[in-house]
Amino acid sequence: MKAVNYNIKLRTQLMVSLSIIAIVSNIFGGYFTRFFIAEVAILSIFAMSLDFIASRGGMVSLGHAMFLGIGAYATAILTLNYGINPFIATLYTILIGIIIGLIIGYFIVLLDGIFFIMVTLALGEMFHAWVFTSEFLGGSDGISGITRPDISFLNIDINNPLIFSFYVLIWLIIIFLFLTKFTDSPLGRSLDAIRQNSSRVSSIGGYAKIYKTIAFSISAAIACIAGSLYVQLNGFISPELTHWTVSGEGLIMIIVGGIGSVSGAILGATVVHIVQHELSNIINWWMLVIGFGFILIVLFMRDGLWGLLENLQRQINIREKK
Amino acid sequence: MSLYIKNIKKSFGAITVLDDVNIESNKMECIGIIGPNGAGKSTLFKIISGNLKQDTGNITFNDMLINKLDNEKRARLGIAQSFQKNSLFPEMTVKESLMISCSQRYKISFNFFTSLVKNKVINKEAIAVATDIGLKKYLNIKSDELSYGLQRQLELGIAIACNPELLLLDEPTAGMSPAETKEIIKLIKRLSNKYSIIIVEHDMEVIYNLADRIYVLDRGVIIFEGNPIEVKNSKLVQNTYLGIQ
Repeated sequence: MKAVNYNIKLRTQLMVSLSIIAIVSNIFGGYFTRFFIAEVAILSIFAMSLDFIASRGGMVSLGHAMFLGIGAYATAILTLNYGINPFIATLYTILIGIIIGLIIGYFIVLLDGIFFIMVTLALGEMFHAWVFTSEFLGGSDGISGITRPDISFLNIDINNPLIFSFYVLIWLIIIFLFLTKFTDSPLGRSLDAIRQNSSRVSSIGGYAKIYKTIAFSISAAIACIAGSLYVQLNGFISPELTHWTVSGEGLIMIIVGGIGSVSGAILGATVVHIVQHELSNIINWWMLVIGFGFILIVLFMRDGLWGLLENLQRQINIREKK
Repeated sequence: MSLYIKNIKKSFGAITVLDDVNIESNKMECIGIIGPNGAGKSTLFKIISGNLKQDTGNITFNDMLINKLDNEKRARLGIAQSFQKNSLFPEMTVKESLMISCSQRYKISFNFFTSLVKNKVINKEAIAVATDIGLKKYLNIKSDELSYGLQRQLELGIAIACNPELLLLDEPTAGMSPAETKEIIKLIKRLSNKYSIIIVEHDMEVIYNLADRIYVLDRGVIIFEGNPIEVKNSKLVQNTYLGIQ
């Protein structure tokens, strides 16, 4: 896995380009396009949460869909059972994500490689099995009837797909800005150092376990936000969202986009979701094609699409210098 | 700085690796630990640095009993170490590596809203350390692109960037060419004016050049203690360590 990428110029350029495309498509697109943009933005938030811990701290999680589910179910319960505004419910899910992330992270962050992956997978599957059988959470049927935030006092109807897509995009941009700030900070850099050589960070007095626990809890909170927005977009939540394959898809997205660049996760989520959608309209065996494409990327493009863009930027710079 | 290592004993199964080892230092000095292969030098080094726990005995650093503290906590108290095998941040530049180490010392590592590379104090400190260890020319070179000798210097730099009181050096000249060894000896000599140093080394010449006092270990027991001249002239050391009859 390559280092956390500190190419601020490309990171910003890519994010601005993707945002402009999303905004223009949202304004001029139809109902389906707007729904699709919101879906891609939510998946991007989820992919960023995975990218964040994979590149900073070297924690590859196959159980992160659990936090997606926690965010979604918590929002459903808070809004339906307690009548809390969905926007406030999203803020609550951040807190819930941080607390649960801190508790779980404290016990597992020092596990290395395969052990960390397997423990997160086990936790995720335990959660999936629990929600699947829990009557309180609607069992296999899940929960429906979840509403979107009420901002009618601003004379804005958030149920309008155009507005809701913008609402989700604002969340995406806020999280992007937070993560880019974090990446360049002392804590972000220390986490990168831990990924490269954890024992060395300890030997210079770094709080390796605490740094990783904080990172894990922040990542959990971001995944919870994605879950909360997902349930508001669709109006329902079912246990499928918490299945480990959802975490697996998230990992595919960050590998396709390029691990460690923040914007790469958004690019990966966008490309994978579009390809998935378009291919599934054409052929039944689309998963085979996706799988083959993924293998090619892993074999020949280790830095994903981000790596391609970086090469392109380098070539342009060389030409400009000439 | 004061360090008292009292009655340290360590066994692995039936094999006693260290038996009643005592070392003390209460001033700024360079202490050398030598001994043949299997003498217990590395085990002692790991016990002092907190990477290994002794079976019995006490270690007191600056009047504080540190037996139960791991290497992370000992580092925060002011005990830094450099490793026998380079332990660097391979994807970071020299400057970034030193800044990471400095940021731990300045307790700003929990900050996640300001940029590390734009921090003026940390920048200045990192450059000062790089100058100290002779790597100022290589600030923007990635660690894994440095030559082996320069990597050894960076290894030392990362340790001193957290401004320790006691510097533990495990075979700092391991794998170096004679020219590189000369350079690193010069560097450690310079550092010994600023830090107390405990150095474990195979190369006798290196120890004679650097140490103010030398402890000679043989089969887990300290058989001699003295300054380099006394060690050189000791019949016991010559017989047991150098194999001279």
